[in-house]
Amino acid sequence: MPFLQALLNGILVGGFYGFMVLGFSIIWGVMGIINLAHGEYVMVGAYFAWALFRAMGIDPFVSALLVFPVMFVVGYVLQWLLINRVVERPHLISLLLNFGLSISIANVYKLIYTADYRSVTVPYSGSFELAGFTLPTIKTAIFFAALAIMLALHLFLQHTRLGKAIRAAAQNKEAAKMVGMDIHRVYAATAGICIGLTAMAGAMVAPIQPISPFMGPLFTVKAFAITALGGLGRIPGALLGGLILGIVETLLTIYVPGVGAKVGTAVSFILLVFVLVTRPQGLLSGLRPVEEGA
Amino acid sequence: MRRYPLLFTVLLIAALVLVACPAPATAPATGGQEAAQPAAGGQEAAQAQEEMPKVIRIGAAVSETGRYAREGGDTRQGYILWMEWVNNEYGGIKVGDERYQVELILYDDESNPDTVTRLTEKLITEDKVQFLLGPYSSGLTKAASAISEKYQIIMVEGNGASDSLFERGFQYLFAVLTPASRYTQSGLKALADAGARSAVIAYKDSPFPKSVAQGAEQWAQEYGMEVLAVESYPADINDATALMAKFKELDPDVFVGAGHFVDGVLLARNAEEVDFTPKAFMLTVGPSNPEFVEELGKTSEQIIGPTQWERNMAWEGPYLGTAEEYAQRYEKRWGEPPTYQAAESTATALALQIAIEMAGTLETDAVRQALLDMDVVTFYGPINFDETGKNLAKPMGAIQIQDGQILVIAPEEAAVADLVYPMTPWKER
Repeated sequence: MPFLQALLNGILVGGFYGFMVLGFSIIWGVMGIINLAHGEYVMVGAYFAWALFRAMGIDPFVSALLVFPVMFVVGYVLQWLLINRVVERPHLISLLLNFGLSISIANVYKLIYTADYRSVTVPYSGSFELAGFTLPTIKTAIFFAALAIMLALHLFLQHTRLGKAIRAAAQNKEAAKMVGMDIHRVYAATAGICIGLTAMAGAMVAPIQPISPFMGPLFTVKAFAITALGGLGRIPGALLGGLILGIVETLLTIYVPGVGAKVGTAVSFILLVFVLVTRPQGLLSGLRPVEEGA
Repeated sequence: MRRYPLLFTVLLIAALVLVACPAPATAPATGGQEAAQPAAGGQEAAQAQEEMPKVIRIGAAVSETGRYAREGGDTRQGYILWMEWVNNEYGGIKVGDERYQVELILYDDESNPDTVTRLTEKLITEDKVQFLLGPYSSGLTKAASAISEKYQIIMVEGNGASDSLFERGFQYLFAVLTPASRYTQSGLKALADAGARSAVIAYKDSPFPKSVAQGAEQWAQEYGMEVLAVESYPADINDATALMAKFKELDPDVFVGAGHFVDGVLLARNAEEVDFTPKAFMLTVGPSNPEFVEELGKTSEQIIGPTQWERNMAWEGPYLGTAEEYAQRYEKRWGEPPTYQAAESTATALALQIAIEMAGTLETDAVRQALLDMDVVTFYGPINFDETGKNLAKPMGAIQIQDGQILVIAPEEAAVADLVYPMTPWKER
């Protein structure tokens, strides 16, 4: 029973990870760009939720819905103005550009909000019992919201014109151009959706984590590890990778005495190295990561 | 390739923008900005300087932003309160027959050890301060005191409690507060007396919490409790549910969480989330601060915390009166009740003042000797430094949050309320 409870805790954390990583995974899969500013968009979403909660008492889950359109526009414009210009260049350039963006965003937020830790205290924190298990209320809500959003994203990619265009661009850029697609517009829309989703994850995490301008890099590293684990650009891959990381972190914390919590945090790095060496395409082979010669 | 020049230009512009953007925001520049304008108190003192030529320059780098923003803010307010009192009411520090006004230079160390060392060096070499007061937290005090020791400048501090600070053989570092290893002593004793028989300990992986945890383990065993687990967690922890779930399985009577404000809030929240309900929940730093109650609401109820000082303790000294009189003065000045971090900061500066007056000179070695010889009682409690610079004369208290009030429950002679034990489970609140 303790083991099953631990597993359940890990799954709840993992479900959030899977959702948090979607934007990172799809941008990588579709454009071949490693978005080093990923964690900063989580941070932006968290501050958005904090500011609305602070000013108007708006619930973070409502803020998550509000932040999506805002960050969609931001992501679209950023991609249109900056990243589209380097997307066909060697990968190092987009990597540097995103690295610069991440530093800029974090420091601009530090200037605006200072480096103080903020928190959002919602009245429904706590837990409830179900079938003998203890379920943390907020994390359970995040888990199911994450699953719902993943399902919605899946339907969007499968059944809408834009969704199909995004998949086409990911599968074969040249062919997509040949049939007359405006590939840069598709890229911009992709970035908008991805960054919007990432900020949503940030807004949802606001009530369970201290918020500070420099909370981003930890998310980026975890996103990297999860994506490498699960394979690029696929929703099931993101979910699987997230669940594995969440469960491994939780179990290590519980079963390694003394330093378990520290080992749990380090494990994403270890997993990353391990997977890159043994199975570079990820556990579920996803989209082709990079074109040859790039 | 035809687009190459255009792309190159765009990249160049982008690069320039990116280089320009973070620059004013990085730590050194912000520190510099801050440095250009000393704290409000410093300016007031600077004005006073024009009329009165005799001035003692005292400096400190204290967190205004970052992880220790809250505690650092209390520290600053404590220092400034002393400075205003000594300059305006007391009439300046007595050095022999002369009166010296105090100019206090405060910088924001951003809760960052690199910044605190840089600013401490700046205070000594550029601002030419004669004495230093400590930053907030053991980690930052450790970093800052390494610099002051190098330049042989006296640093009196009241917010670095880790015992490890005083195991380095430093000559110029003095702390007025009770060291970390004794933080949990009176609280654990009260709990043992109430019937607690087992404990688990979690500590943040940094100097102060580590000392607290080592002390807690020792005291728990001494008072007949079985220590079921001692776990460390990383300083940048953002989720402790797994840790709390682990403790839940061990089912201890007492939980001791050694850390600072932010992680203390996280530990309490996560304990509630996994419904880990020990009979007593003890956290360092957080519970004695009224903001802890605001932040956690009903979750904070009945949490126990060690305290260096509370206003209803019976201390009284020749300067600043009794503990309660100090608290009233503080409330009048800052519009909020003093935390113990504020009180110990005022006491820190007061100890330096007393030493200078005892020495009758500003010369470092004489003031150092006066600090070693000092044996006084202040509003904050007795101050008597041992040869390593620690103050072992002052006992540590324990508080419990009851109906949103922070009440002293131990030691017996200072207690104003009875310990509630066992605590009400989270779910029945």
